[in-house]
Amino acid sequence: MKIGSMLGEIFKSVFRKPATVQYPYGDRKPVPERLRGTVRYNPEKCTGCTLCMMDCPANAIEIITIDKPNKRFIMRFHADRCTYCAQCVVNCRFKCIEMSNEEWERAALTREPFTVTYGRDEDIQKFLERTSLASTQEKP
Amino acid sequence: MTGPHVEKFIVPIGPQHPALKEPAHFEFTVDGETVTSASVRFGYVHRGLEKGAENRNWAQALYLLERVCGICSHAHSTVYSLGVERLAGVTAPPRAQAIRQILLELERIHSHMLWVGVAAHEAGFDTLFMYSWRDRETVMDILESFTGNRVNYSANVLGGVKYDLGPAQADSILSGLDYLEKRLHYYMKVVNNDESFLGRTRGVGTMTTEEAENLGAIGPVVRASGVSRDLRVDAPYLLYADFPINVITATAGDLQARFVVRIQELFESTRNIRALVEHLPEGELAVRFPRKVRAGETVSRIEAPRGGLFYFIKSDGGENPFRVKVRTPSLRNFMSVIVGAVGHQLADIPMILSGIDPCFSCNDRTVIVRREGRDGSAAPSESDSRKDSSS
Amino acid sequence: MSMDISPLLKMLVFPGGLTLIALGLLYEYIDRKLVARFQNRVGPRVLQPLADTIKLLAKEEVIPAGVIPLFFVSLPIIAMAGALTAGLYIPLAGFAPSFSLPGDLIITVFLLGLLTICIGLAGANTADRFSLLGATRTLTQLFSYEAPFLLALLCPAILADSWQISIVDTSVTGHVWLALPLFIGFFVAVIGLMGKLELAPFDAPEAESEIVAGALTEYSGRGLALFRLGKDVELVIGITLVSAFYLGGLSNPLEFLLKTLGLLVVVAALQALFARLRIDQVVGLWWRIGALLALLQLLIVVILKGVIL
Repeated sequence: MKIGSMLGEIFKSVFRKPATVQYPYGDRKPVPERLRGTVRYNPEKCTGCTLCMMDCPANAIEIITIDKPNKRFIMRFHADRCTYCAQCVVNCRFKCIEMSNEEWERAALTREPFTVTYGRDEDIQKFLERTSLASTQEKP
Repeated sequence: MTGPHVEKFIVPIGPQHPALKEPAHFEFTVDGETVTSASVRFGYVHRGLEKGAENRNWAQALYLLERVCGICSHAHSTVYSLGVERLAGVTAPPRAQAIRQILLELERIHSHMLWVGVAAHEAGFDTLFMYSWRDRETVMDILESFTGNRVNYSANVLGGVKYDLGPAQADSILSGLDYLEKRLHYYMKVVNNDESFLGRTRGVGTMTTEEAENLGAIGPVVRASGVSRDLRVDAPYLLYADFPINVITATAGDLQARFVVRIQELFESTRNIRALVEHLPEGELAVRFPRKVRAGETVSRIEAPRGGLFYFIKSDGGENPFRVKVRTPSLRNFMSVIVGAVGHQLADIPMILSGIDPCFSCNDRTVIVRREGRDGSAAPSESDSRKDSSS
Repeated sequence: MSMDISPLLKMLVFPGGLTLIALGLLYEYIDRKLVARFQNRVGPRVLQPLADTIKLLAKEEVIPAGVIPLFFVSLPIIAMAGALTAGLYIPLAGFAPSFSLPGDLIITVFLLGLLTICIGLAGANTADRFSLLGATRTLTQLFSYEAPFLLALLCPAILADSWQISIVDTSVTGHVWLALPLFIGFFVAVIGLMGKLELAPFDAPEAESEIVAGALTEYSGRGLALFRLGKDVELVIGITLVSAFYLGGLSNPLEFLLKTLGLLVVVAALQALFARLRIDQVVGLWWRIGALLALLQLLIVVILKGVIL
């Protein structure tokens, strides 16, 4: 039976730092080590099994075969579709996929920056040539 | 005006209304400030999740169903995992079960603290709202450092969990719980002692034991009315048989009792988490899960923060679920709002509504209630409460 | 060819008009900031209330269907005018009131009540159900706090033997010790002021979780801006009046600032401390306790006057 039972608490809080985090400015809280950020792909060990692609709930991953016998694959990652569930990380038996805890502030005004292509440079080059070839053929 | 054409003053609440954080439509007929009748309509956030699950494979559906509810996401993913694992004949290793249980209880803390804030806000007690949400950040931070996300933890995989509980996580959990317990004791004191707040909670939305049973209420709502109903005890899953919790009940059945029950449940949760962290079983985190699940059907139930959560899962032996039926706890509590609102002041309606901790988007799957007499084909005895559902 | 522009200046710039509005915005900021800090939040910036007002003034005013347009447009203006006029009779910033006449205390209290009545009428004018409920609650609340509030303000006036604000102010300044026996009246006056301003916990008429924005639900743009400004002005006037009457008078700007800001801290703390009262609880509280306390204070004042003065 008390009236105004939070009196002590409210006067204490006047002298405390506000709990609000002024997000883009000021001190930032450290990012947890396990934070699930952007997916990273390491093409060296990939066998192209596409298990990551099959179980992705958001179809955010595309594994594109450049040269199957030589195990050359690239990955197109659609960050705007990704739900950051880490199922691909669990599925990959060769530890090709990991999630970065540094890259997670991905706001942008257009959709283009959200599509990231991972792979060996020459493979990406090859892929880009192939797609540009395809698009010019389509245009006539 | 007299006769049958007496004009009714109906206050529509929703689908857009500041008291509702999610869309639903309520119509309260009022006489002055007193509510004389109430009705409810859902369906504004129907997302077709059940049908969506049928078009995805077993692993993809896990993440889809995790998004049925924004607050009890881990409960949904766990109840689905348990059901699918039972169908497939796979059991998660004990360590994974313990970690799932720890996350469930942490989620209960975060859900109930959220509720304390929401209910205080509906009562116009914004100070309690701000404080409880500030302290809720502690448990959100624990969950984030444990699993890597604040809301959709995605800690489950079929056959186990993804994240191990290392010494660093154990430390952060234990120290966080110490702080939370201190704060919860303080909030307990406030909700039990603050005269102005008691004026808004005591005797409001009272539901007797009998009414609670008749209306089929569930979760903390029914426990506040003196019914000991808790799936963690009635049908133990995970490690609740070895690390039991005590069911908290109260007899008053009003909003204040619900505050007390929910906060006391959190003390049980912290005790349970501590016991689990200290006696964490050794072993693997996950076992291999087949891509195809053998044909069959199962019912999976767990106690989500809002009450018993029910999943029916059917497999035809393929890579996708054949049928997933979800029944969330809020659905069973809405009748108590509609019945309980009558006779109360309009000012108490938001409090009564938030008293059941409603989650509207959880509810929105097609539910057709066939009333007696409307449908000739249904037998009267079962037609009253029969719910037909399809997404 | 001599034209005295001083009454015009007094009305438009200082102490009425612009100064009053500026002070109102400043006090609204301080109030919001204090409540935020009590709740461990950051709170608004200094210019936030001004920015809100400018934004509202720039917006299109939508006149909803089913209202009488003349009332809809004129009620905010009348409310604002009433509040600004009331400012001319109070010792703002510790200076003597711009205009003073016997019985101006009653005029001021009436002008302050005019704002509330205008809000109630504005709500009753629209067809919206939330507005109607809000209007009912606003007027119900008006009838419950008005009498005890007026009684509380009358106590120092009776002691000073005058119902003229400036005379009461100087008389109170001469007898600072009177603040002690008048403590009950001070308490009633502060709570009454909060009821008048519809601040938490007396914000049932505009309880957003129940009836959206109460009587002003249908208002937007200019009308809403004027009502809000009117409330800010009323906050300044009310606080000035209460501190002039109960905190030992206001004789210079420094005293004014210290006393009114001190009172504002109390008001802000009370806002943070309580859950919103239901309208039936508000009425019960005022007529069961508030009115009794005010009468008790009146009794004490009469005895004091008979015995000592």
